[in-house]
Amino acid sequence: MAAWDLTVTVEDLGPDAPPLQISVTSDLHIGGVILKLVEQTNLKRDWSDHALWWEQKQQWLLRTGWTLDKCGVHADARLIFTPQHKPLRLGLPNGATLKMRACFSSPVFRTVMGICRVLNLRHPEELSLLRPVEEKKKKKDKDSSEELYDLTDVPLTAGSVQALYNGMPAHFADSPKTEAVYKMLSVSLPSPAPEAIAKLYRPASIVDKTHIHTRWLDSSRSLMQQGIQENDKLGLRFKYYTFHDMDPKYDAVRLTQLYEQARWAILLEDIDCTEEEMMLFGALQYHIGKQSLSQDMVSSCQGMDDLESALKSLEVKMVGDGNSTDMLDNMTAPELNDHLKIFRPKRLTLKGYKQYWCKFQETSISYYKSKEDRYGEPIQQLNLKGCEVAPDVNVAGQKFCIKLLIPAPEGMNEIYLRCENEKQYSQWMAACKLASKGLTLLDSSYQSEVQNIQTFLSMQRSSSAAPTSQTDESINTHSLVSPRYQKKYKPKQLTPRILEAYQNIAQLSLTSAILKFLQIWQALPDFGISYFMVRFKGSRKDEVLGIANNRLIRIDLGVGDVVKTWRYSNMRQWNVNWDIRQVAIEFDGNINIAFGCVNADCKVVHEYIGGYIFMSTRARQQSDTLNEELSEHKTATHREKKNIPEATNGGN
Amino acid sequence: MDDIDAMFSDMLQEMDLLTQSLGEEAESAPLPKPPTIPGPQEMNFSVGFTDFNASLHDLEDNDLDALMADLVADISATEEKFATEKDTLKGSAPVAPIPSQPPSNLSFPGSSSTLRQATSSNSIAATPPPPTSKPSKEELEEQIKADKIKLALEKLKEAKVKKLVVKVEIMDGSSKTLMVDERQTVRDVIDNLFEKTHCDCNVDWSVCETNPDLQTERGFEDHENLVEPLSTWTRDTENKVLFHEKKDKYEVFRNPQNFYMWKKDKKSLKDMKEKDKEQLLEENFCGASVIVPDLEGILYLKEDGKKSWKQRYFLLRASGLYYSPKGKTKASRDLVCLVQFDNVNVYYCKEYRIKYKAPTDHCFILKHSQIQKESQYIRYLCCDDEWTMTLWVTGIRIAKYGKQLYDNYKAAVRKAAGSATWASRSIQASSSASTPSPTPKARAANGHAPQPAVETKGSSNQTSFPPPPASMETLPPPPPDPMLPPPPPAPPSTNKVNQFPPPPQFPQSSFPPPPMDDLPPPPPPPPEDSELPPDFLPPPPPIFSSCGGEALPPPPPDPIASLPPPPALQNFASAGGAPPPPPPPPPPPAPAPAASKPAGSVRKVAPPPPKRTTPQLAAPSVG
Repeated sequence: MAAWDLTVTVEDLGPDAPPLQISVTSDLHIGGVILKLVEQTNLKRDWSDHALWWEQKQQWLLRTGWTLDKCGVHADARLIFTPQHKPLRLGLPNGATLKMRACFSSPVFRTVMGICRVLNLRHPEELSLLRPVEEKKKKKDKDSSEELYDLTDVPLTAGSVQALYNGMPAHFADSPKTEAVYKMLSVSLPSPAPEAIAKLYRPASIVDKTHIHTRWLDSSRSLMQQGIQENDKLGLRFKYYTFHDMDPKYDAVRLTQLYEQARWAILLEDIDCTEEEMMLFGALQYHIGKQSLSQDMVSSCQGMDDLESALKSLEVKMVGDGNSTDMLDNMTAPELNDHLKIFRPKRLTLKGYKQYWCKFQETSISYYKSKEDRYGEPIQQLNLKGCEVAPDVNVAGQKFCIKLLIPAPEGMNEIYLRCENEKQYSQWMAACKLASKGLTLLDSSYQSEVQNIQTFLSMQRSSSAAPTSQTDESINTHSLVSPRYQKKYKPKQLTPRILEAYQNIAQLSLTSAILKFLQIWQALPDFGISYFMVRFKGSRKDEVLGIANNRLIRIDLGVGDVVKTWRYSNMRQWNVNWDIRQVAIEFDGNINIAFGCVNADCKVVHEYIGGYIFMSTRARQQSDTLNEELSEHKTATHREKKNIPEATNGGN
Repeated sequence: MDDIDAMFSDMLQEMDLLTQSLGEEAESAPLPKPPTIPGPQEMNFSVGFTDFNASLHDLEDNDLDALMADLVADISATEEKFATEKDTLKGSAPVAPIPSQPPSNLSFPGSSSTLRQATSSNSIAATPPPPTSKPSKEELEEQIKADKIKLALEKLKEAKVKKLVVKVEIMDGSSKTLMVDERQTVRDVIDNLFEKTHCDCNVDWSVCETNPDLQTERGFEDHENLVEPLSTWTRDTENKVLFHEKKDKYEVFRNPQNFYMWKKDKKSLKDMKEKDKEQLLEENFCGASVIVPDLEGILYLKEDGKKSWKQRYFLLRASGLYYSPKGKTKASRDLVCLVQFDNVNVYYCKEYRIKYKAPTDHCFILKHSQIQKESQYIRYLCCDDEWTMTLWVTGIRIAKYGKQLYDNYKAAVRKAAGSATWASRSIQASSSASTPSPTPKARAANGHAPQPAVETKGSSNQTSFPPPPASMETLPPPPPDPMLPPPPPAPPSTNKVNQFPPPPQFPQSSFPPPPMDDLPPPPPPPPEDSELPPDFLPPPPPIFSSCGGEALPPPPPDPIASLPPPPALQNFASAGGAPPPPPPPPPPPAPAPAASKPAGSVRKVAPPPPKRTTPQLAAPSVG
């Protein structure tokens, strides 16, 4: 067999080095080529990660047993000898950029699995990579100033068992630098500056939203094949909105990143919500941000245990004290006693606030004409159990009012309590809040409630004074809401609204606050719908197809109304005609639909539907150790299944 | 140790005084006489009666026995528990010094299933586990002390438990009177009513409240607490509690497609496969968050203070009920929130066409449960047809209660299946005193009723249970314990191991002081402490909150004197426990060692029925 020269560029020799010429025969296998190549470079190093990339054909020559002939490589081929794992700049859901090595030769699906293994994210099948939005103005200086976390030194481990060390996977515990990366991954980042939110790209319409999904990479092809170069930037996002087996114990990173993705979806108006919902989201963000500063995820997971042990020790203490008079003393709830101004709005009355001596005991407020009368009958006793408490505060104006709506058979009694100062306000407000839930001052959450209110007030003070300064203590409330509400309300107006929502969630732990955020997010009507611009067969206008985890939605582009919904459970089969790029789906009852994609590759739509159907087959209960093997196995079959139509269509 | 004992004996004496005065008082004031001081506590005793008097009269006849049974069951449950504990303590006491006996075993040997809750509540005492294998005398003392404290705390708690006597109207026009304590959920009450009424126990049975002023009706959800909403009724209320089948209660779980796919043609949904229904439920109720049906459409909203109704386009979201203002789109950002569901309940309304000039009679309102009269704080909504109304009301319930609703349904289904089988069995064996209900609680109740509930409802019970009414009329002073010879009255301060009986008994006698704060609760109905562990810490809030702001604390003797019910109930207790009604022999091997006390103190010894398990659910809500 005739020998011929094969031209191979070896990247490790430097960009300017000329390609090597090696003499091969057509029946030499790829492994042999690599061996010859390595000998010729005279470089001693670990070549195990290197492979041959065929530039013109955009494909890897990974099967070392195959001969050149079988691969179709002839003398005109220009091959590149390059590492399969290259650094990639990964835009995380939290907005941070992480530089790490990723596999450029395996299908994106496997690459994501590898990335997720390093990041300690379970269920990688729910995530994928997408190309970033092209920035209109490329500012060099901005790029360089971008904070970059680096994990390129961390080797990609093949092992699936993640040993924990210092509460984090062992490979993060190597150095302070990697520890910082883990912290970034597992603890939610502080709220962004309002200007930063306003500057970022926001989809303005449903059409804009369809563009987001055109950017997903094809999960069955490798990064190199899709034109991704070393050090390129890609976004890592949760692609499928069905989150399997979420467990705060193992999912510190997953939970945090999912929260971040949800948070940004809200802030950037990716998903619509009402004003009330936005205030609650804002309050939760504030709370999560504050909690994240004080504790990290790991310890908060043990919150319940801590609580239990605290209760235990308290029990011991009570028994140990033994002295029953003590015990009885303990059961007498403390009181608040102070001068407060009370105002009861009534029709046709001009009476204003009047000062009384007020006593807060148990869950009720009694008020007396004066301090001297406090042993007599109160003018009135207000039981706050079940009442609505709302703040009416203006720090700049030194107005500290508590608005109480106390239910009574005839309706709600509206009563305002006016406090002198912040301290008094926070105490009484906290007491009112607890009492409305039927708790007394003795409740353990009282002190923290007081604290919470005080810090929130200080937030308002600083936001009205210096709007842009952002420290740990003070957050501009504008950074908690989307630009729409930034425009609609001044921070001064926003703070009381968020404070009101905050009252209801202030007692949540970090983890439960995050879960609550995700829960409300998932309960939004538009949650989990990915939009694609399509044209249905037989229709002349573009329409929007929404893909959710259980159904397809046909949406009128003009009005935004849902025209029709098809559920996967009624789906018989779906096919893709790759020649005309059309997806055809058959449902029960002889319903057939077909559509072509207008701005996205129909492969993306195809993958989305297939992905959701696969996700729904995931078993409900899987033990943790089995998990990875199982899902790997499944995803493998899943990919095979998905490849079938491709293969058959290739033959057409 | 000593000061504790001292304290307990103090309490004991005080209690003697109290009971004596109580007896005198009772004799001087014959029962039917209405209370002279109408305190807020009255509410604690009766609901569904026109006045307090009526409730007492009512008590005297047909439902008395049933109430009795309830009460006795309560008492005997606790009695048994302590008796068994004492037993086991007694039994193990001689063995105690044996080195090999692990201390923890010593203190809580009764880990049988009936006692499990009891022992779990002992965790206070179990916390300081002596590391040595030889339990020393001190340790035993520790143990006793701990037990006493625990018991005292339980008693304290029990004293604060609010109980209501509720008259429940049943569809056929009859009514049942039963006692509900604040720890019971509506589910418990329904179970109770199942036993009393012998209906078919299907899942649609619900307890509802009606308000004639507002012409509303609302079915309580199974997980709700019944006492709380009822105690907010006004004194002169004409509100009623009904027990009947409500088809829409769980319809959403039987035919989820009608709610979640409401836009589709109903005919096409009619024969949906069970499998698909299940999947719908799974998708909407078993995810991380419950999905609320995406209801939207035109409803009429009554304008504030006017009798006019305005059409608005409403949308239901998990976060509340919204409408889109005129000229705006349906986009989320433009929606106006009419109401959020945290503080309001949804009520069906009747005949609002006449009352409020509503466009149709298919109206529902949203209001705070405490509002009982017309008010600007009530939101009135009107739908075109009945189905739309059901759709919205159900949707709002899903938004408000979320997964809890589904859990309730599943529990109800289990229950219904269970009672179906039991009912058929019990018909065959109706002569025996055993009960149709699988719940231990039911056995407790029926075990004391001579005519088991298997016999048809109502009047038959009346004749069967003479003793309690009799004792009520005559109102004897608290009887000395007629049932069991008191064990040797042990001196209060004992350090000896084999004088075990005292420990439990002292706390018991120490009981009176606490209830003084909050007299209404009938006397020493012993704690069903099944919920003790969750409830125990921090103890004060639940206790105090349970009595709320109501007359706290009245001077001890007064309320006793002025409020007949306590004596009456007390007598039920003692009468029921002691005399004729043939109680089933107590299962525990040893006879319950009755607590021995200085004369005058009230003692109840009742056969030990299995413990009540249900209140555990209600416990957290107390705190």
